[in-house]
Amino acid sequence: METGLPTLCAQQLSLRSHAHALVDALDLSVEAGEVLGILGQNGAGKSTLLTALAGLAAPATGQVTLNGHGLLMLPPLTRAQHIGLLPQSDEGGFFGNVSEFVSLGRYPFQHAPWDLMSHLITWELIELAHRSLVTLSGGERQRVRLAQLSAQAPQYYLLDEPLTHLDPAHQARLLNWTRAEAEAGKSVVLTLHDPNWAAGQCDRLLFLFGDGRWQIGPPQALLNPTSLEALYGAGTASLWLTRR
Amino acid sequence: MSPQLKILALVLTAPLALVVGLLTGTLPQDPALASQILWDLRAPRVAAAFACGGLLALAGALMQTLFRNPLAEPYLLGVSGGAGLLALLGMAAGMAWPWVSLLAFGGSLLALALAALFGRRLLARDHTPLLLAGVMLAAGFGALIALVLSLAPAEQLPGMLFFLMGDLTWVQNPAGLGAALILALGVALLLARRLDVLQLSPLKAASLGVAVLPTRWALFALSGACTALVVAQAGSIGFVGLMVPHALRRLGLTAHRDLLPAAALAGGSLLVLADALARILIAPRELPVGVLTALLGVPLMLWLLRRPYT
Repeated sequence: METGLPTLCAQQLSLRSHAHALVDALDLSVEAGEVLGILGQNGAGKSTLLTALAGLAAPATGQVTLNGHGLLMLPPLTRAQHIGLLPQSDEGGFFGNVSEFVSLGRYPFQHAPWDLMSHLITWELIELAHRSLVTLSGGERQRVRLAQLSAQAPQYYLLDEPLTHLDPAHQARLLNWTRAEAEAGKSVVLTLHDPNWAAGQCDRLLFLFGDGRWQIGPPQALLNPTSLEALYGAGTASLWLTRR
Repeated sequence: MSPQLKILALVLTAPLALVVGLLTGTLPQDPALASQILWDLRAPRVAAAFACGGLLALAGALMQTLFRNPLAEPYLLGVSGGAGLLALLGMAAGMAWPWVSLLAFGGSLLALALAALFGRRLLARDHTPLLLAGVMLAAGFGALIALVLSLAPAEQLPGMLFFLMGDLTWVQNPAGLGAALILALGVALLLARRLDVLQLSPLKAASLGVAVLPTRWALFALSGACTALVVAQAGSIGFVGLMVPHALRRLGLTAHRDLLPAAALAGGSLLVLADALARILIAPRELPVGVLTALLGVPLMLWLLRRPYT
């Protein structure tokens, strides 16, 4: 990439679950300023792929590189300054309040200055700032987790089902935030289950078929009844495409 | 009240507790003898009680973070069972105190080594194997302890029971325990920010740049060492390690840079006061201090649990 930004690439990346191939020989370069959606059935390897792209799991073969360096070789803090991950759940053992939880996103940067308030505003958390996490609803907790990630402010956002628990208003908020980050040159990779959202909001899509096969391309090329039924099974395309 | 003020209150409470501990109990009329009892007998015991309580509460806080569970406590992995079994075997064989203490220390390390050996699989992603290994070991040691108790001569039973319930009568080397407390607190504070992050899932903590596996083993070793030191000297004093960190968290001291020093201070003060009560309640006889920590701790804990989360 000519922008000089660090580049995140998967090279001949293969992922397995036990003896079963999930993804075979994936070549992918995550572009600056793009929103890349990953779609596939439950268990197709979406989360496994995000974990590998985050440098937190060794692939069966191939590698993920940041600026040409193998991710697994990078010092953990350096990696965390560039790549942020939103796992599906992570707040179980936390005893503190919302502000403290969001602040943990700054761990990779030690003492660098930042503005907690702006992240609380973005995710509508001002009134919850001093609440303990156990008192929050599922959707509120999801916003707190997103705020922690936006506080980390990495170049690469890897979001595992970020829409979970969010009401339509907050889905719209997530959408605006995603767009703003992409326009600022950040890259957003997210897994999702809603082809409508994918059609409207993603610049590129990656389909994982769960048996090693994958397909990548712009939404208009990939989102058609044939490919959706290939991905999700017979009879599923009608669930979404009637609206188009 | 800010965390700093709460810690300041605990800093001020500690010397008060030490003075109360020192002055609790009767002293003879003869000033020379009184001074001797006060400084040669009571002061080392009060100091040792403070250090033991601090170490236990610190170990409990670290275990609760390691297992991301507020029910974790220093004896979760069988440390007290291993120490108790070997100490009781020593007593049954007629050994005297320093040797019993050494055996207890060896027993705790044995229990920790076994827990680490059987539970090391998957500690990076999942702590359940370590937890299960520890709980199984504790159960096994418990059964063996019951066996020793049922076979031991009757006149040895009180000493054995005191050890199992926790008792500060035989504590030696308060300076060593105090130094261990300061050292352990210092090391734990160096890890404080990392421990905050470790409360998140292992995957999330790793994504934020924490080396999860080495940090977890450091936690295991540090809390194990603190507990083994105490158990070797004072037996299995219960409740301090479970209750103190949990109570402090409920009072809003959740960040480890606040929680860890607060646990050391509060655990120390609590054990000094409990020991003072243990010495006078049925004077001239003494109660095992572990009975008092539970009697003081249970109502306090239940009261704290009634407070709603904010």
